Order: sequence, then structure tokens, then C-alpha cells
Amino acid sequence: MANVESLLHGFAVALSGYHVLLMVVGVLLGILVGVLPGLGAPNGVTLLLPLTFGMNPVSAIILLTSMYWGALFGGSTTSILFNIPGEPSSVATTFDGYPLARSGKPAQALTLAFLSAAFGALVGVMLITLLSSWAADFALKFGPPEYFAVYFLAFASFVGLGGAAPLKTLVSMGLGLALATVGMDTISGSLRLTFGFDVLVSGVSFLVAVIGLFGLGELLISMEEGLRFAGLKARISPRAVLETIRAMPRYWIALVRGSAIGCWMGITPGGPTAASFMSYGLAKRFSKRGRSFGTGEPEGIVSPETADHAAGTSAMLPMLALGVPGSATSAVMLGGLMIWGLNPGPTLFVDRPDFVWGLIASMYVANIVAVVLVLSTVPIFAAILRVPFAIIGPMIVVVCFIGAYTVAGSKPDLLFAVLFGIAGYMFKKLDYPIAPLVLAMVLGDKAEDAFRQSMIVSQGSLAIFWSNPLVTTLTVIALLLLCWPTIARAMRAFVPVRRPADTFEE
Amino acid sequence: MTRFAAELVTALVTLALGAAVVTGSLEYGIGWTEGGPQPGAFPFYVGVLVAAASAGNVLLALRKRRPSAGFVAPEQARRIAAFGLPLLGFVALALLLGFYVATAAYLAGVMRFQGRYRIASCIAVGVGTSAFFFVVLEVWFKVPLLKGPLEAFVRLH
Repeated sequence: MANVESLLHGFAVALSGYHVLLMVVGVLLGILVGVLPGLGAPNGVTLLLPLTFGMNPVSAIILLTSMYWGALFGGSTTSILFNIPGEPSSVATTFDGYPLARSGKPAQALTLAFLSAAFGALVGVMLITLLSSWAADFALKFGPPEYFAVYFLAFASFVGLGGAAPLKTLVSMGLGLALATVGMDTISGSLRLTFGFDVLVSGVSFLVAVIGLFGLGELLISMEEGLRFAGLKARISPRAVLETIRAMPRYWIALVRGSAIGCWMGITPGGPTAASFMSYGLAKRFSKRGRSFGTGEPEGIVSPETADHAAGTSAMLPMLALGVPGSATSAVMLGGLMIWGLNPGPTLFVDRPDFVWGLIASMYVANIVAVVLVLSTVPIFAAILRVPFAIIGPMIVVVCFIGAYTVAGSKPDLLFAVLFGIAGYMFKKLDYPIAPLVLAMVLGDKAEDAFRQSMIVSQGSLAIFWSNPLVTTLTVIALLLLCWPTIARAMRAFVPVRRPADTFEE
Repeated sequence: MTRFAAELVTALVTLALGAAVVTGSLEYGIGWTEGGPQPGAFPFYVGVLVAAASAGNVLLALRKRRPSAGFVAPEQARRIAAFGLPLLGFVALALLLGFYVATAAYLAGVMRFQGRYRIASCIAVGVGTSAFFFVVLEVWFKVPLLKGPLEAFVRLH
């Protein structure tokens, strides 16, 4: 059990006083960005990233991942108390969370959500503990064609599993890939797609794109809807927590199903949002109490929350083992790894075991820290949302632009952030998915390098992508996922499926 | 503005971007050399993908056209403007006078003219937030922000 030993070493790293302090800070900041509209996990992590450039990578990743866990919890808080999802991935939590809270049981709704979220996260981390070094060993055998096939698989699964219109996903992803090629070409050294503009020479930062697309775009959407927070008040007593813990085993089916869906969607880059909707949809369809879903049914809170957090944590597995992130937030972290001078992917397990296992161990600790903190601070964060939007809105704007500036200390980045903000607003309104764009921006260079190296090996023949069983399997799965929308439609035409009314439809 | 118009405009913009990527990458060669694919090859095919998918979106928009579907109601447009215009003003101000002055002015201005708070509390929140960022970024994390003439003046005298 080499993994267990490595994990214990990891705990030695993670449990230092400084790191636990970083977890507390990270989780609190995370809950804050999760609670605030317009700030979510991806751009919260992005905003914090420039401040970690001077830190030791292990401390930096612990801070950022803790923020991620905090944001996931914060998003559920607003879903339940305000009926406003703080994060896209907690939309499904509003369906039953808010009704239950409104019916006079806000404490029960919140503890139920947090505890099932923690359960999902724990399953996700255990999966990482068990599988990551095996996956990394496996990935060490990968050459450029296998890598390109894995990237292709990641992109294809967005089209196949993302739930948005396939053509819109393709546009979003293609734009991300194109943006990644702007600036200096690492192989030939030539400047590409700068169109004579000096500001484009250094390329377009994906961090600025995340701030614009997720932060400003989301803010514009929230503003348009005219924010008025009429939230419910909640204070969580230890007795309510104990009662909920006692009630948890009753929902074991929902917990197991949610974890399984979440882990699957996290590893294949379906992401937490798709996972939570899928889990809710399946629970509604197969649960004995399916009829009462939407009216404050506890199972309707447990299902999406478990899947959301299981997906959020397990998204770190492909990021660590393969260098392919499973969600927008882990894409940002992957970018961070490169900025800190680490080389994400299987070699990380060999070169920096302290980093990998410190991170994995910190995920156990930070999720426990997060549950404790979120349970005890709900009233404070709920109070923040009652600050009038005339004050809090502009503050979020200021934070976003300061974040965009600190990425590289460049003035044009502020204008890029505005442009990305407008693009984010239009994309959101017209149901273009944004996560594929970010993922493509982060992975674009690596995918291109892998493609070009494969082509050099094969002297320009695409047949290299089905030249051995491994790469063939990857390519075939990727192609199947890419064509999944068409296949599914064809199957529906032959086998009419009974569709329950108003299931999940993103 | 109708949903149809918005779909069409967005698809046409992405189509134009795809076309720009295609023409831009032609400059670097999209063929094959001794050392592998030329630098323009990958972006060329990506550009083709974007343009083709955008063309598909144009067709879908035309086919699914429903005149009744709205995109932005007048009231929503007003809210966006009320939020977006001060935001643009903040960016312009930040570029001219630096972040700290711009932050204080922006927060105080929005609170005063949209929130109708007392002038004293507007100034307090604006200057206080600005000072908070100064302490966190410049002092604590040693991350310099864009500064303007005011900071230069204070430092010189």
C-alpha cells in the first residue's frame, strides 16, 4: 500500500499550522465568493492566483483548492436561503432546498446540503487517493499521440456530455483554442495571429478571460434580473446538526448514486454543474418519493449536492494524473501549476510527491474544515448578502478589475476583461457554454504541441491516432462522445423513451 | 432586440472571428515542411471549425426564428446601462488616475447617485475600500497596482 504511506507523508505536509491556517483563510474566502453573485469558484481562484506567485507551490495549491471547496459550499448557502444559486453548480439545489427552508426548516436544509456535500467530496478524495498514482503510472506510458487523444477526449466529452447545443459548444471551444494560439509559437518561434497589434504579442491570458467571462458576464446577468435579496434567516444549532447526521443513512441510495455520478462527471470533464443536474434528474425519476421533488424533499437536496462536490473533487484526478482538468476551476489551477513552474501530468508524481500528496491530504482536511466553518458562519455570510447591491456590486467590479490587472500588470488586460465580460454576457444569455472556452485556452498549447509532435513522428499521417490499442481506444471513445448528440437522437427516433415532465434541461 | 437578432449577431461575430483566424494563419503556412506541420496549420483548422460551427448556428437561428422571443426588455436594458456605464467609467478612470483613486471615486459615485446614501458615508466607504486594497496588495502581498498622478504627487512631497 504505497499510496497509504504517501498519503501519510502528505498529511505531515498538510497538517502544519501554516497550512491549516491557509485552509481556513481559503475556505472563508471561498464561501465569500460562493455567496456573492458574479463571483464563483473559477474566478475566485483566478483572482487569488496572482497573489500566490511568490508562494511555495504546496501552500499555494492548498490555499486555492480550499477556496474551491469553500466556494462550492457557499454556492449552496445562497441557493437554499435566497433561492439564488451562488454557483451554476448549485442551481439544482434550489429546487428542493429553498422550498424546505421556506417551510420553516432552513437549518435542516442547510445541514443536509453541507453534510451530503461533504460525503460526496470525501468519496471524490478517496477515489483520487486510490486511483491517482495508478493513473499517473499508466499515463507515464503516454506518448504525444496518446496525449493528443486524451485532450481530444476531453474536448469531445464537452460536446457529448455538456448538455448545451453541440454547435455552440464547438464555437466556444474553437474560440478558446484559437485564443491559445495567439502570440509566440513555442515550436517555431514565430508570432501568430497578432494581426499587427503589439498587445497581442504576449498572447491573451486565460486568467483575464475567466475574470471577464465568468465574473463580469455573470454580474451583468445578475444586474439585468434586478437583484433583490429577500433571504430567509437561519441559525444552525448543534442539535439540528446531530439530528440531520442521524437522518443521513436514510438517504444512502441518493448518496451513493450522487457520488457515483459526480465522480464520473468529474473525471470525464462533464463538470459539477452537469453532474448535479443529472443526479437530481435521476433521483427524481427513480426515487420512491419522486413525486414530492420540488416541494422541499430532502432527497432532492442530497442528490445534487453529493454529485456537485464529488464532481468538484474528482475533477482534480485527471488534472493531477494527466494534466487534463475536469472543470473550469481545475483548469485555472492547472494554469497556476504551470505558472508556479510545475509540470502538470504524471511526472509530477515522481518529481514532486510532496506537492501531490500534500494536496491530496489537504483535500481531506480542508473539506472537514470547510464543513465546520460553513456550518458556523452561515448567519454572517447571509448577512453579507443583505448589504445593498449599490455597495456590493461595484466592489465586486473593483475586485474583478484589480484581479485582471494583477495577472500581468498590463493595462490592455483591463480592456480585454471588458470585452470578455460582454462576450460572457452574450454567451450566457444565448446558452453558449463557457467552461469549454476556458479549458481550451488552458489546454490549447499542449494539445497543439501533442498534435504537432505526433505528426512529426508519423510523417503527417493521421493513422497514428489508431496505431496501437491504447490510442485507438481513446480515439474511439472520443469520437463516440463527439457524435453522442447525433447518436442519442437517432436512438430516440427508434426507441421512443418516456420522458418524465420537466426533468433536467440545462 | 429580439432573441433572433441576438443569436444571429453572435453567430455572425463568431463566424467573422473564425474567418479572421483562418486568414491570419494562412500567413504562416498551413502545409507540411521537413520539421512537421507549419505554424499556421493548427490555428487554420481551428478557424475552419469555428467558422463552420458558426455558419451552422446562423442556419439554426434562421430556422428556429420565433419573432415573439425577446432578448432584453427595456427595463433590463436600463439596468444594464445603469450598471455598465459606471463600470466603463471606472476602467477609464483607473487607466488615467490609477486604481486607488478610481476605486474611491467609483464606489462613492455609485453609492451617491444610485444608492442615494449620505455624502459622508459614500466617501467613507470609497476611501476605506481603497485603503483596504492598498494595505492588502501593496503592503501585505507586495503586488503593485496601477498608480496615477496622485500617488506620484504624494510620494514626491
